[in-house]
Amino acid sequence: MSVYDSMASVVKDHEHWSTVLELLEYEEMPPTKAKKHPSAGERQDVVSWLRSVRQAEMLRNAGDPGPVLPRRLSHPEFNYTVRDLTGADIQPAREFPIDPTNTAGFDNSGESLAMSPALMNKYLQAAREISEHMYLKADGFAFAPHPMMNNTDRDQFFVHRIIEFYSRQKIDYTDYFHAAWKYRFRTVLRRGNEPLEAFAAEAGLSPKYLTTIWELLEGEDDNIGPLEKLRTMWKALPTIRVNSASGIMRMTNTARAACSQMSDYVAQVRAKVEPRFPNMHVGQVSAYQLPMLTWKNQQYATHRMKFDPAQLQVAGEPPAPPPEPEVAAEYRYGPGPTQFIVNEPGDPDLAVPAGERARYEAAFARFCSVFPDMFYKDKRGLNYFTTRDSEGGRYLSSGFHNVLGYFRDDQPLYELILDEEQQRELDELWYDLDFVASVHSRMYAEFALGGTRDADVMTEFGEGPEVTLLGDGDYAMNVTREDNIQMLADMYMENARDGGTEIGIQAVADYFQNHKDRIREINQARIDAQPSHLAALVDFAERAYRRPLSADERNGYLEFYRTALEGGELDHEAAMRDTITSVLMSPDFLYRLDLMQGELTGIQPLSGYDLASRLSYFLWSSMPDAELLERAAAGDLHQPEVLTAQARRMLKDPRARALALEFGGNWLNFRRFDTLATVDRERFKTFDDDLREAMFEEPIRFLQDMIQQNRPVLDILYGRDTFVNTALAKHYGISEFELETLEKTEGGWMHIDNVARYERGGLLPMAAFLTQNAPGLRTSPVKRGDWVVKFVLGERVPPPPPGVPELPQDETQSDLSLRELLARHRDDPNCSSCHDRNDPLGLVFEGYGPIGERRTQDLAGRPIDASTEFPGGSTGTGLDGLRQYIRDERQGDFIRNLSSKLVAYALNRSLILSDEPLVDNMIAKLAQDEHRFESLVQSIITSPQFLNKRGNTTSLASN
Amino acid sequence: MALPWLESLPVFGSMPAAAAANAAPPVTAYPQRFAAMFMGCGISPEHWWAKGTGAAMELGKSLSPLEGLKTKINVIDGLFNQNATGQGIHPAMTGNLLSGVPFTSGSTIQGGISMDQMLANTVGQHTLQASMVLACEQAITGYHESNFSNAYSSHVSWQSSNSPVPNELYPSLAFDSLFENRGSARNLSVLDRVKDRAEHLGRRISSSDNAKLDEYLTSVREVERNIERMRANLDKAEDNARGRPLLSMKRPENGLPEDYRDHARLMCDIIALAFQTDKTRIATLILARDLSGLYYPFLNAREAHHGESHYDTSENYERITRFHVSQLAYLAERLEAMPEGEGTVLDNTCLMFLSNMISGTRHDNQRVPLVTAGGLGGTLQTGRVLDYTEAGNSNRKLCSLYLGLMDRMGVKLDQFGDADHRLALL
Repeated sequence: MSVYDSMASVVKDHEHWSTVLELLEYEEMPPTKAKKHPSAGERQDVVSWLRSVRQAEMLRNAGDPGPVLPRRLSHPEFNYTVRDLTGADIQPAREFPIDPTNTAGFDNSGESLAMSPALMNKYLQAAREISEHMYLKADGFAFAPHPMMNNTDRDQFFVHRIIEFYSRQKIDYTDYFHAAWKYRFRTVLRRGNEPLEAFAAEAGLSPKYLTTIWELLEGEDDNIGPLEKLRTMWKALPTIRVNSASGIMRMTNTARAACSQMSDYVAQVRAKVEPRFPNMHVGQVSAYQLPMLTWKNQQYATHRMKFDPAQLQVAGEPPAPPPEPEVAAEYRYGPGPTQFIVNEPGDPDLAVPAGERARYEAAFARFCSVFPDMFYKDKRGLNYFTTRDSEGGRYLSSGFHNVLGYFRDDQPLYELILDEEQQRELDELWYDLDFVASVHSRMYAEFALGGTRDADVMTEFGEGPEVTLLGDGDYAMNVTREDNIQMLADMYMENARDGGTEIGIQAVADYFQNHKDRIREINQARIDAQPSHLAALVDFAERAYRRPLSADERNGYLEFYRTALEGGELDHEAAMRDTITSVLMSPDFLYRLDLMQGELTGIQPLSGYDLASRLSYFLWSSMPDAELLERAAAGDLHQPEVLTAQARRMLKDPRARALALEFGGNWLNFRRFDTLATVDRERFKTFDDDLREAMFEEPIRFLQDMIQQNRPVLDILYGRDTFVNTALAKHYGISEFELETLEKTEGGWMHIDNVARYERGGLLPMAAFLTQNAPGLRTSPVKRGDWVVKFVLGERVPPPPPGVPELPQDETQSDLSLRELLARHRDDPNCSSCHDRNDPLGLVFEGYGPIGERRTQDLAGRPIDASTEFPGGSTGTGLDGLRQYIRDERQGDFIRNLSSKLVAYALNRSLILSDEPLVDNMIAKLAQDEHRFESLVQSIITSPQFLNKRGNTTSLASN
Repeated sequence: MALPWLESLPVFGSMPAAAAANAAPPVTAYPQRFAAMFMGCGISPEHWWAKGTGAAMELGKSLSPLEGLKTKINVIDGLFNQNATGQGIHPAMTGNLLSGVPFTSGSTIQGGISMDQMLANTVGQHTLQASMVLACEQAITGYHESNFSNAYSSHVSWQSSNSPVPNELYPSLAFDSLFENRGSARNLSVLDRVKDRAEHLGRRISSSDNAKLDEYLTSVREVERNIERMRANLDKAEDNARGRPLLSMKRPENGLPEDYRDHARLMCDIIALAFQTDKTRIATLILARDLSGLYYPFLNAREAHHGESHYDTSENYERITRFHVSQLAYLAERLEAMPEGEGTVLDNTCLMFLSNMISGTRHDNQRVPLVTAGGLGGTLQTGRVLDYTEAGNSNRKLCSLYLGLMDRMGVKLDQFGDADHRLALL
């Protein structure tokens, strides 16, 4: 005590004195065993004095921004910021050591975040790693979720994106017929004023293609052959007469089945008239050499919306002679002999009355122009050319046999389904593939270096002239150089002209010309793109800095790039990567320099950019987005209505998940639940990684929902709803039937109302908390109670003294129930002072086992008793009992705790005395705002603490 | 100078396997090195055999290039990689050869960290480069008809489950990476730049800010110093080597060598140089990838490697096999000619030559041909022929061999690939 020699020293160490105050008020000190005790009056005097000191101090400095240190980003912030900066969720800090937390329990303050050489090394490795995810585009650069350092990575990246694009498109005819059918009855459905586009939109269909189909079905043109048949089926679809829900539901199902039959009919006709192309030998060039295979590919790709007129069976005309079966050897990896389509004579689908060929051909042409034989080809089977291949599984990069063989084949999708925007997107994907992964140049090089000439193929089909060139070293080294392409082209042309047809000779010429053009185009584009890369580099640095760069800073980066290029003997791409690495290592990126006092004196408002960072790191744990930076640039972010509108927008954004996870997770102490390893998986076989992940996710989803939907914070305590996925629903005993009725969101998560009958709802009975606070093979009313008291209600509970007796590890190993064992423990007055506060609140959870499962018996088979007597004497049972107790006696504690924690989190520091008025105001305002979450956020961000910073020489000697 | 590890070297064949596997790696004065050398599409089975021990060992024709090294090699037969069987031929037999992980076909590349990279993660921390991954043949991409990506055929070295280590194909660049210290020089210039920025900041900030930024600056300086220290150590290692006949090698020409023989030889020279000067301790060399398209006009083979491998009893393929084994012999002899302590660099090294199948005709990988050379710092007995063919599947795992080798280099794992115990009798 003697160290406190003045009033100022007491004020300075107010936290300590707050504890003293609390202990005195609760009469916990001096300890019961102490020889001397103050009288009630003496106690009261000291308490009053301490209170008045606090009160005076608190008001004197109310609103003080407090000491906030510049600091490095926390590891989660680093991960989120890299995600938002690069657009790729790289998680570079995933293997960093866990950040320490400050006294408020958060890992986002300068008080606890330090830098060390070991960590700096990790940042360096991480920055390098991130730079390796970068790929250069024709315009600027972007980042992939994985490294882009070799062709395998690059191929994979684009192949996945293109396939993903394809599979996103709706191409099932049944869906289109069905939507058209609904549109037909739009008046009965009381949707008479809705356009066709609206019906397409609700089913996720292409409006363009739905229009095409509608016009075909409703049209009268060429009403013969397949068109007539299909239109007849269309007209026969069930009629909707009245708009009643059940009627429509029934009709819908019937109509869907009929639409599916229409779809089958289309496929049936289509398969009979699909064009097939023979293998073309051109002079001495074999059909199995790449130029000719490419030609054949082109034939298929450009005829997908056409049909084979030779398949029509015209009365009076002799049947077309079946094509010569090809004699080529059966080669299972190659194109093999073309499988021609042979239809049975007398096929009604193909029948044409005498003399009507021209009219029927027109009808078939129309039909096939709307119904292609396929929309796109994203896989190749063993037989490279078979149109429909059930064994297909080799994706876009797979050529004939083992060759690298990209070939874009999606004309029907492109023309019939995609709108202009989507067409542009798809074109760009294919272009980027070529630009980034050098597809044409690699494909050509493989071919020209003999890589396509597998020995097996060569033996079967003869080798190409390229084999004779391979001995030429210069040729082999520079195989894609134009003169070398020309040299090989000339040799091929000579072989082609030796007996080849015009078409064939042209095909060979085209093959080489196309590659030459394309390789030249891409090479040129690479060079042309370099200025855009440098511009993008400066933009990147500016976004990383979260503020505009000075001219010096811009030039500094360009200079660094040039030095790397010239002095370091790096190529353009490597120099770009190094410059990106240096941006990511800069303190302006790694640190929250917006928190720096700098040269300021006194208390000063934050700059617009500093405020933008402060807001985004509070709500998103990440960098400001473009809109926020725009407001900072415009200079109006300080205006309360602008600031609150931005905050409201940001709380709705998916990035606000970080607030649920980083704030909620640390506040309620479940941030590391995803690595929890205390569950005995032998005994609890249902507990696997999926269930653990789901348990971890539940409170995050709940809090995120509260944040994004601006729900009352009291839902945390009293909510009747929760979020489950299938694994968690099973754990909670929610029936599959009930799950069926719920709407699934991303990741298979569902919001479920009224889960009271499963004894869930709100955060208190969530499995994560019940499991985390149960040590293995028994529950722990002590730990569960402690969690409620300490983390939810914010009461300070001292840690247990040394030498406490151990409880049994396993409920089955004890003759007494835990309730009885604990009661015995509380008989000891040394233990009771704390346990009387914790245990009663934990005992209500006895109806939940060690992994949060509901139970009626403990592990030893004793019946569960979840009743309790709360501190203060009221009694209650189970979850509802606890809720009632909190509602009656502790709700204020909960709100104050939540408010204080959120302030500490937002301000990146532990609370100081002068923050108490802010907390008081928040609480008052919250009550006016129906306890909605946003109210807390708005109170904080409009507070002087948040809007200002304390400068260098502020004379707040007391703090 | 006392060489305690030599004294503890067990008498030939007398040390129980379990004891050998569990023995702590001896403290060696010289670094232990490891290199994997891969030849795709199998070997010439009729001519791939060895019997007897030590100097009295007899070698089949394909192994004859190793004649002068018999006391320093082990010919190991009968091992296999279970997860590379029954999935399809070629790529599915190759991509997990050094990792032993299970595989699936389809569009996603999914492998597992390979044993050379596992070693590099630990052993590589002491050297300029954690490892060198070299190849004498360009990787292919695309898909094999078995529905496995050809990336699996081109890469045996994997840094993570979904990313192969890029193969360095150019001898000149591999050489530069050893001598220009490019990676660390690049990091130094990055650090230099951010240090300037931090110092600049430091001039205009308050004292409490300064405390935090000081941590940053101090850390940058310390990392910088570490890199410089490492570079200095490397120079010292070069100096150390200078006392002995340092392999003299001039920088290879830019571009790819036109003759495959030059290419392979240069790559071996670079590994030898890197090992001698301790620039790296881990290397992987793909002599011919799986589905190899290499031509060998100088061996009178008309078809490319993969095509020839379908006739693995042919004289052509025997010559091809023997040619690649001679690369192993060449590298081993190089290392053997480099004195180190009272032995040679080879004595402190393990070269592991292997293919992905025993027969290219039958695409049979129920046994994997494998030869090691070098004593790994006295921890690996040599001069032996070990045959596990009849040992039963659980006792003849390739990954058990890897566990045993990694043990000897101080990387102790409970499990690797499909194996959770060490190979007996190694």
